[in-house]
Amino acid sequence: MRLSMPRFMISEHPFPWLFPLIAMLLVFAVFPLAYNIYLSFHEFAIAKRSLVFVGWENWLKLFSDTRLYNALVINITYTVVCLTVQLVLGFLIALLLDTDEKGFGVMRALFSLALVIPPAVTGMMFKMMEDPQFGMIAWALEKLHILSREVPILATSELALAGVMIADIWQWTPFITLIFLAGMRGLPKEPFESAVIDGASQWKITTRFTIPMLSKVIAVAVLIRGIDLFRTFDYIYVMTSGGPGIQTYTLSFYTWKQFATSLKWGYGATLSLLALIIINVAATVLIKLAKIKW
Amino acid sequence: MYSLKTRILRIVLAWVVTLTMVLPIYFWITVSIKRDKDVFVLPPKLFRFEPTADYFKAVLLDISPVEQSIESRGALGFSGGGITYMVPRLVDSIIIAVGSTILVVTIATLAAFALSRIHFRAQHHFVYLILSTRMLPPVAVAIPLFLTYKTVGLYDTHLGVILAHTVMNIPLAVLLLKSFFDDVPLEIDEAAIIDGATYWEIFRRIILPTMRTGIAATAVLCFIFSWTEFLFVLMLTATGLKTVPVATSAFVTSTGTQWGSLAALGVAALIPAFIFILLVQKNLVRGLTMGSLKQ
Repeated sequence: MRLSMPRFMISEHPFPWLFPLIAMLLVFAVFPLAYNIYLSFHEFAIAKRSLVFVGWENWLKLFSDTRLYNALVINITYTVVCLTVQLVLGFLIALLLDTDEKGFGVMRALFSLALVIPPAVTGMMFKMMEDPQFGMIAWALEKLHILSREVPILATSELALAGVMIADIWQWTPFITLIFLAGMRGLPKEPFESAVIDGASQWKITTRFTIPMLSKVIAVAVLIRGIDLFRTFDYIYVMTSGGPGIQTYTLSFYTWKQFATSLKWGYGATLSLLALIIINVAATVLIKLAKIKW
Repeated sequence: MYSLKTRILRIVLAWVVTLTMVLPIYFWITVSIKRDKDVFVLPPKLFRFEPTADYFKAVLLDISPVEQSIESRGALGFSGGGITYMVPRLVDSIIIAVGSTILVVTIATLAAFALSRIHFRAQHHFVYLILSTRMLPPVAVAIPLFLTYKTVGLYDTHLGVILAHTVMNIPLAVLLLKSFFDDVPLEIDEAAIIDGATYWEIFRRIILPTMRTGIAATAVLCFIFSWTEFLFVLMLTATGLKTVPVATSAFVTSTGTQWGSLAALGVAALIPAFIFILLVQKNLVRGLTMGSLKQ
């Protein structure tokens, strides 16, 4: 029976195992990519209701588009600020929770709560809490004399992006905390014990032992979170819709706008390819540098 | 090792941090059971309010807020109009999340087995290719899919969204399952092969039975990511179906936002996902890092 079949059809060959995956990826990843490349050389002509070939026009437009420049600056600000805050906060909280003491297991479980809330729902939740009239955060900021409630957070140019970032930071700091906690729990105990005996300060132990030993964990956290931060869409969509003006247009949101509102399918596709190139290059460099392995 | 004072300080501090983190969720739960008069006041009423199940009734049982406010003599005062009955949206969410989870776990289990057990040329490149699918911005996939779905009739269908979510979860599922399968020592395969077992038999008799928890953990995470996904549903559906995350944005009406109903739907959707994630606590971090960090 087995001999009568072509060799690549039998279970000893990887092909039958990988076939469903390859088929899926061809149809839903390779094809969309190719379609995007095709679209990037075309543009939807509203008058003709069809795609027209435009050559390199969309690609050249990338260099002169001030809105794109604006979106990239916002994207990088958003990614860098959120990532930094999440890493620092996540690390500190992980240090705090890293103990075998009773009750800390419950806290660790509570920290996974934020991960299961749809980001769109989180966005709505924070939109309400930042509302100047009845929002809890706006109220607390006024009580602390940081910000008057007369300034609506999400409708003020300088503050809108920070308002969105609060939601992202709230939702994903636990993610980093949990990753760091797992990393810390897996560290060998001996170096820490001898360091304590030698009279090293907590600060020294953290900077000389914990952080270097967690470098791989940090790299993985930066990789995964960085990719997602760079693709941010949900929070922007529900909280500010890119506003006020174009103050919170991230690259994903700008791409979506081009596609859905302006009907610039070709340029939208070009923008999405640009995002893909940036993420891919950055991620590949990080994976190579940090030697992350799968 | 540490003094009692430091220990107590640490416990107190840890609880303060944890409760601060949980506070927005708690607040949100109170919004789902507070009447408007208790919602739109400052300082926020976190404990002292009269609870009501009106929003849950409206969202889950289709008892219209108008009827309720007549019964309760207008005390409800819903802000905004529109549709609040959300069980069909929950059903859509379940169909899509369950459907895509079954599909992705099936595909990924087979592929992960080959990547973990059978050696072939360019294996590393193949793994990297799968990983780079994770870097695709959803919008880059959604635009071509939207245009294609329109022509092949998958637009605004459950199947269309299920397929999109399946692809979205492929990198996570394949890489995570591969990391689980790698835990089974290759010597076992070698012994089985000497005894005349085929790879199919190794898969059926060794890998599947020993890796049940790993597969379950993968399924749970895929379920959650499909359950919370927003952009594909937004772009690939119109009126036929809506999942919970997209349905929440529909509570924003021209006459105001129905915060109570929105919160009730959010809470109803949160409960199953949270129970699921508690079941896989042990493998959570491994899953969140796509198998690159083991606990």
